[in-house]
Amino acid sequence: MKRLLPSLRAKKRYLAFELISEGPVSRSELVKEVMFSASSLLGDVTASECDIRVLGFEDSKGIIQCSHTKVKETRASLATLTRINGKRATLHILGTSGTVKRATEKFLQNHMVFELKSK
Amino acid sequence: MGKPKFYDFCVHAVPDGENTIEQLTALARYFGYSGIALANHSDKLPQSWPELPSTDEVEVFRGIELVEENPSKLHGLIGKFRKSVDVLIVHGGSEAVNRAALENPRVDILNHPAFDKSSGLNQVLAKAAAENDVAIGLTLRPLLHSRGPRRVHLLSDLRANLDLARKYDVPLVLSSDAISCFDLRSPMEVLALAEICGLEEQEALEAMTTVPERIISRNSPGPGYIREGIEVLEGGDYF
Repeated sequence: MKRLLPSLRAKKRYLAFELISEGPVSRSELVKEVMFSASSLLGDVTASECDIRVLGFEDSKGIIQCSHTKVKETRASLATLTRINGKRATLHILGTSGTVKRATEKFLQNHMVFELKSK
Repeated sequence: MGKPKFYDFCVHAVPDGENTIEQLTALARYFGYSGIALANHSDKLPQSWPELPSTDEVEVFRGIELVEENPSKLHGLIGKFRKSVDVLIVHGGSEAVNRAALENPRVDILNHPAFDKSSGLNQVLAKAAAENDVAIGLTLRPLLHSRGPRRVHLLSDLRANLDLARKYDVPLVLSSDAISCFDLRSPMEVLALAEICGLEEQEALEAMTTVPERIISRNSPGPGYIREGIEVLEGGDYF
């Protein structure tokens, strides 16, 4: 199928994030939880408008794509993420950008994920 | 205007919460907060006040969340703790307690006033809150952790309180009410969530920046601070 013209494609924003969690989390578990918390906070209709997609997730860091008009809604729904597969977790957004390249360069390269020091 | 300073005025540390105040402070600093207030529930206080970690970037304020069902005992507790804490919060949740807290000008914040089938505020209480400058505390933890009908209920209570607060000009404070590090959220995310839940952008910002600042300046007045009810007269010989 022919690809849409660039001017017709939906504009996106890319959110670079880190995951602070109790234990290691796989990508599929994260995706499931992100979609679930978005549809539960915003409802299925608004969540579909947000066009949330988890692009990459490695070493507790990754990028989430969303519609450029729905960054606020996406941020709010990501904030309500509390548990992934029973492990408590917090998703911290490092920054937003209009391209994947810029988001990676600016926020993810050389970024050390915050670790909770145990008592 | 520079970067706003964000405050989180209700975090619970050991023995009330799970994490130590050092861990919470480290995470709050990482998230970009300028100050947090350690506000353990008064029924779970440690034997002695813990040494508050002092860092350059994050101020840790001494707070308390009073839990008491009996209004006259609550007034007693307020008098007992007022001098030793920077932030005095009352754990709301019944008609008598809400009323007692909002009618006492020595209280700073009334947290989660809602109780069953009521948002916890009405026009009488909202007026009292505005007169006595008691802020309504909007806590984030229940909103994050509940799903479905429970959260729907919480949100509609929040909206009802918000309408009253706007009409009578009651200050609002947004706080995490965190009992562990995983309940803390960065200021930008709290703002986004607050806006989704019905607050205006400006209201949400004020609830995390200027209102907490005002509470602190009121309770630890520095030199030059003019207390409420005092008027400075310029010039003239009065004696």
